[in-house]
Amino acid sequence: MTTTKQIDEASRKAIFKVFIRGSAQQVFHELTKTDEIQKAIFYSRMHVGSFEPGSTLTMRSPDGKNVAMIGKVLEYTPHTRFVHTLKFTSYDDPECTVVYDIAPKDGGVELTLSVENMPMGTKTAKNMASGGTMICNNIKAIIETGKPTFMYRTGLCALIKLAGIFTPKKCRTENWI
Amino acid sequence: MDAVFQALAHADRRRILDLVKDSPGVKVGEVCSHFGTSRIAVLKHIQVLEDAGLLIRERQGRTKRLYHNTVPIQQIYDRWTTQYSRLWSQELTSIKYRIETQNESKKGNIDDDDETDR
Repeated sequence: MTTTKQIDEASRKAIFKVFIRGSAQQVFHELTKTDEIQKAIFYSRMHVGSFEPGSTLTMRSPDGKNVAMIGKVLEYTPHTRFVHTLKFTSYDDPECTVVYDIAPKDGGVELTLSVENMPMGTKTAKNMASGGTMICNNIKAIIETGKPTFMYRTGLCALIKLAGIFTPKKCRTENWI
Repeated sequence: MDAVFQALAHADRRRILDLVKDSPGVKVGEVCSHFGTSRIAVLKHIQVLEDAGLLIRERQGRTKRLYHNTVPIQQIYDRWTTQYSRLWSQELTSIKYRIETQNESKKGNIDDDDETDR
């Protein structure tokens, strides 16, 4: 029997999958690097004390002044799996869980991004729906061509997203650390 | 990319994507119940969509649930749209959708077939 809880959990989830001609090491590095700007994830900078489960993780603006997203590391298995919770600092929505799975496939790797416990009908859900495809495609482009997709680099969309996420005062770094 | 276009080149398969998009995690059986054709025919369509990367099937106990993977569609969009064409084509489609929705609600009869030239 399927319980109501299972149905609820199943529908509050989105999955994105992309094949990348590259190695699991490269993909894992793109997702977890803290020493360079993460171009695939809205040109933000990841800050994390350690990757031990329970550590706080923030995605900050390149200048470090604002925090766009905050969460906790849940799982960190090099080159295979990275799981963390996520909350947009500009919205009062509950957090969701982001799961990156990397698996070898046909001489490359398949990257699966699953977003679980999405607060349905919220801005977080909307952002994650468009953000998911963008992140997958950009990681693919960065690894295969060395840079994010043309649309993303030139598009207004990246700027609008950054502005939208980063502007409110409550996003200032001092409010979150 | 051939697989994606082939998968999209069938009205029933596009309708399956509509159904899954509207209810993420929908059960395979529930999708089948929307079609007058045999279950086997619908399962074949689901397989074609899955092979093209447009659908993701997840097993939850004995149930199989479906999710729509938007990445291949985004790749088509990235390939043929530019910063400028996106802005203006979005303007035009939003006008089209607004007017057509108004007209449909006037008729009081929404045509549920996606074969209109959307």
